[in-house]
Amino acid sequence: MKQRFISSAQIILQLALTTVGLTGQTYPGKPKIIRCRSLEKETFSCWWKPGSDGGLPNNYTLFYSKDSEEKIYECPDYLTSGPNSCYFDKNHTNPWTTYIITVMATNEIGSNSSDPQHVDITSIVQPDAPVNLSLETNTSANMSYLWAKWSPPPLADASSNLLVYHYELRLKPEEKEEWETVSVGMQTHYEVSSRQAGVKYVVQVRCMLDLGEWSEWSSERSIQIPKERLPPEKPTIIKCRSPEKETFTCWWKPATDGGLLTNHTLLYSKEGEEKVYECPDYKTAGPNSCYFDKKHTSFWTIYNITVRATNEMGSNVSDPHYVDVTYIVQPDPPVNITLELKKSIKRKPYLVLTWSPPPLADVRSGWLTLEYELRLKPEEGEEWETIFVGQQTQCKMFSLNPGKRYIVQIHCKPDHHGLWSEWSPEMYIEIPTDFRVKDMVVWIIVGVLSSLICLIMSWIMIMKGYRMMAFILPPVPGPKIKGIDTHLLETGKSEELLSALGCHGFPPTSDCEELLIEYLEVEDSEDQQLMPSHETPSKNTKIILKETDSDSGRGSCDSPSLLPVKCRESRGLPSTLQTQDVRAKEKKGGKGSWETQCTASEQKMLPCNSESLKSCTWLAAQLPGNQAAMFAYHSTVEAFRITLNTTNVNTSPVLVGNEENRQSLYPIAETVYDDLEKMSEMEYSKTDQTTVQVRQNQQNDKSPFLNPKLMDYVEVHKVRQDEEPTLLLKHKENSGKTKKSTVPGTSKEYTKVSTVVDHHILVLLPDQRTQNTPVSQEPVAETSQNPQDSQPEKSTGYSTTAPSDSRGDTGGSDYMDPSSFMPSFK
Amino acid sequence: GLLLVTLLVSHMLLTKEGVTSMPICPNGSVNCQLTLEELFDRAVKLATYIHFLSSEIFNEFEERYAQGRGFIAKAVNSCHTASLTTPEDKEQAQQIHHEDLLNLILGVLRSWNDPLVHLASEVQRIKEAPETILWKAVEIEEQNKRLLEGMEKIVGRVQSGEVENEIYTPWDGLPSLQLADEDSRLFAFYNLLHCLRRDSHKIDNYLKVLKCRLIHDNNC
Repeated sequence: MKQRFISSAQIILQLALTTVGLTGQTYPGKPKIIRCRSLEKETFSCWWKPGSDGGLPNNYTLFYSKDSEEKIYECPDYLTSGPNSCYFDKNHTNPWTTYIITVMATNEIGSNSSDPQHVDITSIVQPDAPVNLSLETNTSANMSYLWAKWSPPPLADASSNLLVYHYELRLKPEEKEEWETVSVGMQTHYEVSSRQAGVKYVVQVRCMLDLGEWSEWSSERSIQIPKERLPPEKPTIIKCRSPEKETFTCWWKPATDGGLLTNHTLLYSKEGEEKVYECPDYKTAGPNSCYFDKKHTSFWTIYNITVRATNEMGSNVSDPHYVDVTYIVQPDPPVNITLELKKSIKRKPYLVLTWSPPPLADVRSGWLTLEYELRLKPEEGEEWETIFVGQQTQCKMFSLNPGKRYIVQIHCKPDHHGLWSEWSPEMYIEIPTDFRVKDMVVWIIVGVLSSLICLIMSWIMIMKGYRMMAFILPPVPGPKIKGIDTHLLETGKSEELLSALGCHGFPPTSDCEELLIEYLEVEDSEDQQLMPSHETPSKNTKIILKETDSDSGRGSCDSPSLLPVKCRESRGLPSTLQTQDVRAKEKKGGKGSWETQCTASEQKMLPCNSESLKSCTWLAAQLPGNQAAMFAYHSTVEAFRITLNTTNVNTSPVLVGNEENRQSLYPIAETVYDDLEKMSEMEYSKTDQTTVQVRQNQQNDKSPFLNPKLMDYVEVHKVRQDEEPTLLLKHKENSGKTKKSTVPGTSKEYTKVSTVVDHHILVLLPDQRTQNTPVSQEPVAETSQNPQDSQPEKSTGYSTTAPSDSRGDTGGSDYMDPSSFMPSFK
Repeated sequence: GLLLVTLLVSHMLLTKEGVTSMPICPNGSVNCQLTLEELFDRAVKLATYIHFLSSEIFNEFEERYAQGRGFIAKAVNSCHTASLTTPEDKEQAQQIHHEDLLNLILGVLRSWNDPLVHLASEVQRIKEAPETILWKAVEIEEQNKRLLEGMEKIVGRVQSGEVENEIYTPWDGLPSLQLADEDSRLFAFYNLLHCLRRDSHKIDNYLKVLKCRLIHDNNC
């Protein structure tokens, strides 16, 4: 009834106040009763939270009524429990009554009341936390106790001290999260037993009356449980190490000592001895270590080492550590590391590293042998490059990148067992860059120069225009085949036809040999006088000519200026030198001495005569292994050799003028008689020649040097009264008396004297026709049938042969293919 | 990789051995024999090689058969060559007369002749013995004989007085290698290999010391 009345009154009030609220100032907001609490069941307090004040100062009034009465009372004490609270003292508190409490806020405009709160004293009891918590520890008989004391919560009213509280205590090690809670009962002290020694504990208590709620936990107290008086735990032996294979040291980790002074003792026994010794020296190697000096160090013996930790409560022994000092050697890092940058002959820098073994290690006696390993990397690099260098104490490092800074470290290790030392301190070395820069400069200069040359060339090209083009690319003549025997073609005998065209078979027949000599002048005069006959001798020729001129025969290897040339030649062409010497001899004595010489030297495969033996022996030593192969060739071409022996090849001055390259071949071709290389060269020479001179030593009776068949075409003229007569071979076209004689065009007479060179040689020219025998087989076939080749064609022939010549000259005999020179012998 | 190194080393040594059979005589020398230095060089190389093999075989055996069995504690003081009193540190090794040391080396080498023969055969019976252990046992036996020959040559060259009687300690460990109980048998192998590793290292070390002393006058 009453409640209904109140609420209806509130509604009316609210409606009334709402209209007023439009002015901006309103009646107060609804306050809220937060909590009511009794500390000790005899008094209690209530607190509220104000609502909005409506912009005006508010008054709060707490009304309460008791369920047993209709009467409404106002709060007896607004002050004791602080602002916005009401304290009900003993006189106003009845534990058997339920209170109905309302708070009303009032201002000028109106008032507002909170929801009513029903309060039963017994249900709102919550004491304050206990106070004056203090902790003690007590240790007795190896047990640690924790002793906690506290006081009950203080009350405003001293008369209520007779209250009985229940207490609860909780504790935990300081670093842990979980609490351990202990119900204490009604006493205000507690003993916690068997706490962990050496741990700091945190303790709190709280209390509760026989009804109601637990108080808050009291403020924390903490206490360190003292380390207990226990024997120490086991120590641990960490490691043993010998730095120089003479002494060693062991280290251990001490046991937890329980707060008591603990002594550590190292005990050891040696293999083969029953006795147990104590560590001879605890000091030298620092705390928790034992140093065994030389006297106490044995090798190839197992030490059984233990460490005993002792305090007043007892002792504990580590696990045994078995050590053979042989296997625990770990030296110190190497010292005296030096880095030195040196330059090789090619001016590439390389690094020389040197170092010394660690000072403790006695490597001189052989007792300890160290091996080294070094590592390096560019300063900014990630990965080390590790190099094992064995027992050396120096190392050379090549192929380091210029312009980079390197870090180098070294460590060492005994040769068999043991451990690597620490790495030595880092050493730095910078590889200079200037070498590369110099190279760059050179290349830039080369580039600029070459582009300049190109510019000039192109300028000249433009200026000269057409003429230049014609010079570089002469008109190509069309092939003309004349003189093919139609009869032969008709009969269709291919073999005969082929043989008419040229000599394709291998080994060549005598026909082919005959072909070799087209225009022969056989002469037995001094060779060197042949040479000046050339109007345009090349430089190479000159050199060799001079050598041959001097009759000492030294033209081979002795002459320092010639040595390189000679050596090069001698590799490929051993016989060249030989024949030069021979020629010199021949000139001197004119007697048949050279034959024996040649054979002798040939057998020796040394391209020298006795006078230059020394240097040539040296040369011979340098001859590559392909010499044997070369001589194998010789044997296969024995037939050619015979022919060539008798021939000296000369080129007519006119033609020579065109091709300077060819000139270098003269002296060689002239003298070669057994070298394939030269044969090939000669073949080219000959094919291009209009005149061929054949030199014949008449006093030499050796028949191989004069091909009997050749003699058929030779007319011998005595040109001089010298003791060495000159033979002039007036001979017809090679094919003149062979099967090829059927070819009419090839038969020629060579009676025209083109030049008289000095007074020894007659150079013969065919009548405005030349024999042109190009290299390749097919052209040979053409030209042999067609002697009236035009001049341009000939020049093409030269150009094709020239490269081969130069190749033969420089390349040695390695690549001679018999087939390539075959055709030229037709 | 290790195997490769082993093969390389063995190849090197074998090549070296091959050279021994036809020494290069300097012109005009009547006695065509190796110098003491060359002899020592070869002996040291061989001893190093033998020790390398012994270490390897021991390590392999330990890894495979001795893990967690605590053999090392039992292996104390049980090498059959222990009765030969050999230098135990650098000072002793330097003080002992070189002839005595050489004889000791000979003694140790001889003492191993017999056990190595049995080792090479008995090791075949170990359960699942890897090939690497088998061939090393054979190789060590052969190389030990070679080294013994070489050492006899060196002793013959160095020895001033009469050659001492052949000292060596007999080995009676064969039954232990044939024990039925696997644990005991494996321990017998372990112990033998352990002693082999130790003695081969001794010999290598003594030879290096002797070489530095006799050839390089303690200035290696």
